[in-house]
Amino acid sequence: MPNYVLQVNGRPQRLTADPDMPLLWVLRDLLQLTGTKYGCGIGICGACTVHENGLAVRSCQVSVAATVGKNYTTIEGLSPGGSDPCQRAWLEEDVSQCGYCQAGMLMTTAALLRQNPGAGDAEIDAELSQHVCRCGTYQRIRQAVHRAARDGRKA
Amino acid sequence: MTTTRRIFLKTSVLAGAGLVIAVDPPRLAAEEASDDFSPNAYIQIRPDNRIILWVTRSEMGQGVRTTLPMMLADELEADWSQIRLEQALPSPRFKGIRLRTSGSGSTVGTYGALRKAGATARTMLIAAAAEQWHVEPSSCRAQSGAVIHSPTNRKLTYGSLAKAAARQPVPEKPPLKDPKNFRYIGKPMKRTDGPAIVSGRAKYGIDTRVPGMLHAVMKRSPYVGGKVASFDPKPALVVAGVRQVVPIRSGLSTGVAVVADHTWAAMKGAEALKVQWDPGPLKDFDSDKFLLEMEASLDKPGFFVRGDGDAVTALPSAPQKLEAIYEYPFQAHAPLETMNCIADVQGDRCEIWVPTQTPLTAQEEASKLLGIPQENVTVHTTLLGGGFGRRLFVDYVPEAVELSKAIGRPVQLLWTRSDDMRCGFFQPCSILRIKGGLNANGSPQVWYQTSIHSELSMIGFPTEKDLQDPMHFFKNEVPWGAFDHPYNFPHLKSDLVMMNAPVPTGPWRAVMYPAQVFARESFLDEMAHAAGRDPLDLRLDLLKPGDVKELGEQRIDRARLIKVLSLAAEKANWRQPLASIQGRSVGRGIACNVYSAECYIAQVAEVSVDDTTKDIRVHRVVCAVDCGQVINPAGLEGQAESGMTWGLSATLHGRIDFKNGGAVQENYIDFTVLRINEAPVFETHIVPSQEMPGGFGETAVPPVIPAVANAVFAATGKRIRRLPITPEKLKA
Repeated sequence: MPNYVLQVNGRPQRLTADPDMPLLWVLRDLLQLTGTKYGCGIGICGACTVHENGLAVRSCQVSVAATVGKNYTTIEGLSPGGSDPCQRAWLEEDVSQCGYCQAGMLMTTAALLRQNPGAGDAEIDAELSQHVCRCGTYQRIRQAVHRAARDGRKA
Repeated sequence: MTTTRRIFLKTSVLAGAGLVIAVDPPRLAAEEASDDFSPNAYIQIRPDNRIILWVTRSEMGQGVRTTLPMMLADELEADWSQIRLEQALPSPRFKGIRLRTSGSGSTVGTYGALRKAGATARTMLIAAAAEQWHVEPSSCRAQSGAVIHSPTNRKLTYGSLAKAAARQPVPEKPPLKDPKNFRYIGKPMKRTDGPAIVSGRAKYGIDTRVPGMLHAVMKRSPYVGGKVASFDPKPALVVAGVRQVVPIRSGLSTGVAVVADHTWAAMKGAEALKVQWDPGPLKDFDSDKFLLEMEASLDKPGFFVRGDGDAVTALPSAPQKLEAIYEYPFQAHAPLETMNCIADVQGDRCEIWVPTQTPLTAQEEASKLLGIPQENVTVHTTLLGGGFGRRLFVDYVPEAVELSKAIGRPVQLLWTRSDDMRCGFFQPCSILRIKGGLNANGSPQVWYQTSIHSELSMIGFPTEKDLQDPMHFFKNEVPWGAFDHPYNFPHLKSDLVMMNAPVPTGPWRAVMYPAQVFARESFLDEMAHAAGRDPLDLRLDLLKPGDVKELGEQRIDRARLIKVLSLAAEKANWRQPLASIQGRSVGRGIACNVYSAECYIAQVAEVSVDDTTKDIRVHRVVCAVDCGQVINPAGLEGQAESGMTWGLSATLHGRIDFKNGGAVQENYIDFTVLRINEAPVFETHIVPSQEMPGGFGETAVPPVIPAVANAVFAATGKRIRRLPITPEKLKA
C-alpha cells in the first residue's frame, strides 16, 4: 500500500492507505480526527465536510490519492479554542441539538463566509441545502450564519 | 404520561426492559468515599466544591444535559459553574431509577425526583452548617453553592460542608422552593454541550475508540427477515485491511460481518462478500398492496376505542354527510448517526459503548446472549446523533457482542446508511376513515372513525385475551389522537381494526399521533368547509365551554386548548388575508392537538403553491404551546422547531416503500428529509404556566402535518389525504 503525507490542520501526517480510501475514513480511523462525521457515504448529507485549500468538500468523496499537494482543515483545526466567528455565532444562537451534523454545517459556513462575507439567504440556502440536519436546527443555523457574517465583517 | 399508559408500556414491553417507574427515593449512597456527600443516587458533592450530577437520560438533542442540571442547580441552590455531568450507567447505584429515554418523558420523569434530590442535599448541607455554627438551621440559607448564616453573614461552601453533611439525617420531606424564587428554571439556558459540539470534541458512539479495537460492517439481507443460506468469505478476505469474516445470528437483521483494521476496509469487504440469502417469509411483501389490504379492511369489525351517543344511528339521518379516507405511509427514523456499538467481551465480562435510549435493555440483552450475570456487563451511554425512537431498540448491541466474542477483541460494528434505512424498525403505515354528519345549521353532530393501525412490535401485540376485553384499547389509551379526541360531538364513535405489518415496526417520534392528528385535523377542516365555517371558529365551538373532558385517567382541559388555538391564530393574523404572491396561490391552515393529556399545542401554517409547477413552499409556521412549567424556554423553542421540521419532512417527503420483501429507499437521496432551503420561519409562543411540566420532545410533530395539508387546500382547493403531499399529487 502506498504511503501518503496528508497536510491536515497545518501539520503533515504520514500514513499508509489504499489509494481509494476516502479522506473521511483516513481522518476518522487512521488519524483519530473524529469531529468529521459519517452520514451518508455518497456526498449528499454534508456531515463529512472539510476544507480543501480553503473550499468546502465532502471528505467521503475525496480519495486519499487525490489529497496529494493539498491542504486540509477539519473542524478540530478550524480555529484555536473554537474562536472562529462561525463557532462563536453557533454558540450565541444555541444552534445545536444532537449536534452530529453541525461540524459539517460549520465547515461549509466558514468556507462560504471567507469567499463571500456578505452572503445572503440565497447563497446560504444554496450551500447549506447540501446538508442534512435531522433535528431541524435550520432556523438557528440561518440566524447563526448571519451573525457570523456580521461579526466577521466587524473583526 | 398518565399512569395507565405507563403501566401499558411497562407490562407489554420486552420483559424487564427497565421501565420501572418509581418516585426515586432519596437514600444514602453508602459505597461512596466518605469525604464526598452523596445524599442520593443523582448527586455527589465533593470537597473541592464540584457537584456531580448523574444524568439518568440519554442526550439525543432534546437537551437533557442542560435541563436536568438546571432543575438540580435551582433546587440545590448550587452555582451553575460548579455542576459537572456524568452519564448514569446501569449499576446498583441506579437500581429502581429509570435510565430509559422515551415518551417525551425526560423532564416529566425527573422533575420531581431531581427537585427532591436537590432539596434533600440542601437541607442536609444547611443542617451541617448550623451544627458547626451552633445556630438554628432556620437562621441559615443556601445560596450559590454555600450556606450563609443570615444574622452574621458567615459562609461555608458546599464543598467544605460535604463531609459533615453526609452525617446528617436524611429528611423525609425536604421543603421545595417556591417557584417564584426559581433562579434557573424557566429562564433560557444555552446547551451545555454546545462548545464541545462546535469544536468537534463531542463524542458520539461512532467516535468512541477503545485500545485494540477493530472495525466491522455487516452484509445484511436485502429481504426483511432474510437469513444467510451460505457465503463465500474469500472476496472479502482479499481486501487489504480485512481480518476476519464472521456470520452473525443475533440482532434483527442477521448477516455476515467483515472485521477490518478500519471502517473503509470493512465496508469494501462487506460489499465484496458473496452471500446466498434465504429470503424468508416476506420475500413478496409489497407495501402498496398492504395499504390496499388495509383499506379493504375498513368494514371489518373493529375494537372499541370511544363511544358517545349513537353515531351509527345518527349518521344516516344527518342532513349533511361527508366521508374521507386518509393514508399515512411507512417511515424511517434516519437519524444522522447510523446505528453502531462497540463491544469488548473478555471471558465472563463485557463492556459496551453505545448510543442508546435504553442502556438497561442493552445490558440485559448482552447478559442473555453471553449467559453471564447482568452485573458483569458494563454499558456506557455515549452522546446520540439523534434518537427519535430508533434507539429504543438494541438490536445492534447483541450483534456487536456476538462479534466481539467470536473474534476475542473489542470491535465497533457500524451500520451503513443503507443498513440504517432498510434494516431497522419502521413507523408502520395506517389507514383512517372518518364519516361526519352535520345538522341543518352546519353544526357537526356525528364523528364516526375507523382507524387501521399496525401494532408496534416493541410494545407487543395484544393477546387474544386482551382483544376479548371490550375496554382493552380504552384502558390503554390507544390509538393516541383517536382515544383522546378532544372535541365535543353528541355522537362519537371510534373503532380500531388491527392489521399488523409484517416488517419490524417501532415507535417513531410521536408514535400514533402523526397519522391520527393528520386525519382528525384534516377532517375537521373538511367539515368546516362543508359547513361554510371558519376552521378556527368551528374548532373553538366544538371545544366549548372549555371544560375538562375526563377519559379514563386522562383529564383533557379544553380551556387550555382553546387558549393555544386563540394565541396561534392571533399571532398568525388568522383573520387577515395573506399577502398574495405573483404566480402562486397562498393559503393558511390551522390544527391543534393535546399530547398525552399534558401538552396543548396549536399551529398555523402559511403556504404557497406554484400555479404551474405546483411546487409547495411552507413560508411560516406559528406555534402556540402550553406544556405546564417550562424548564428551559430556549430548549423548548428548539424542540418546537425540531418537531415541526420533523413533521414537515413527513408531510412533504417521507415515505418508505417495500417491494419484493425489502425497503426500496436507502439513503437521503430517495428518503428525502427537509433541508434548509425548504425550512420555513418558525414562531413559537409559550403560554406561561405552573402546571406540572409536560413532555415536549414529540408534541410539535403531529399538528404541522394537517396544518400544512389544510393550508394547501386553502391555497389550491385540492385536498390531499395521502401523505406525502407532493406537486405530482397536486397536478393529478
